[in-house]
Amino acid sequence: MPPVALPAGPRSENDDERALVAALRRGDETAFVTLVERYGASLVRLARTFVRDRAVAEEVVQETWLAVLNGIDRFEGRSSLRTWIFQILSNRAKTRAVRERRSAPFSSLASDGEDDAAAVDADRFRDESHRWAGHWAAAPSDWSHLPEERLLGQETLARVREAIERLPSRQADVIVLRDVEGWPPDEVCAALGISDGNQRILLHRARSKVRAALECYFAEGATG
Amino acid sequence: MTCREFVEVLTDYLEDAIEPCVRAEIERHIVICRGCSNYVEEMRSTVGLLGRMVAEDADGADGDAHGEQLLSMFRAWQAGRA
Repeated sequence: MPPVALPAGPRSENDDERALVAALRRGDETAFVTLVERYGASLVRLARTFVRDRAVAEEVVQETWLAVLNGIDRFEGRSSLRTWIFQILSNRAKTRAVRERRSAPFSSLASDGEDDAAAVDADRFRDESHRWAGHWAAAPSDWSHLPEERLLGQETLARVREAIERLPSRQADVIVLRDVEGWPPDEVCAALGISDGNQRILLHRARSKVRAALECYFAEGATG
Repeated sequence: MTCREFVEVLTDYLEDAIEPCVRAEIERHIVICRGCSNYVEEMRSTVGLLGRMVAEDADGADGDAHGEQLLSMFRAWQAGRA
């Protein structure tokens, strides 16, 4: 320990990041392994929202790490290290997804800006002529009656994945970091460089679409 | 509040990013509207399922091979720098 008094309070994430950056610049393997353990799995999951194939996603992640290493000397710490890494991943995964688009029938590159879709289709509600305008015409059902193996089954999780893959990319970024990875909202805003309000709008649209996809799926089973 | 309005403010409600008076209105609506109370539960289940994707992902992963590739990549980078 240096003989000077350190500022009170716990060691901040910033200090921790600065130490990792300095160690990486020295070529320290432990620092690299620490970073991979911390962010590697999240990076693969985020990459898979753009490119479906796991092997391709891992390639994108590997390219991302190489870009991190090659760029570490130029990293100025204006954003957090994590934000910077996730930005590199996000850009590379999008580029790769464009290249692979022909083989993947998903619209995850749809523009978020043009997406002002309602959370629930308008025709699910009673129209203006009705006394109960704006109230449910076809109300959502109670999923708690579903058998657990159906509600939590592998096929259901596969549907969730497909629904995420069809989301516009910003919505996919937000829902993966918030609901799959469990990051708090402020960290998601920082990593993606978006405002809190924007983060909530993207989350709202994304969750609404995934819910709608599940509703479709569960309804198929009920009639089939 | 109509159900159509309700579904659009639900995320703000669940995220606790809403004016107290609107919150009270939402909570009243949930009590009186079966469809919307089902909708809230569906949304909670959806978020719960999303949280399970992490576990599902780990099952199918060959993390070791990927980790090995990353380590060789790192060593090649390190050697190039030295």
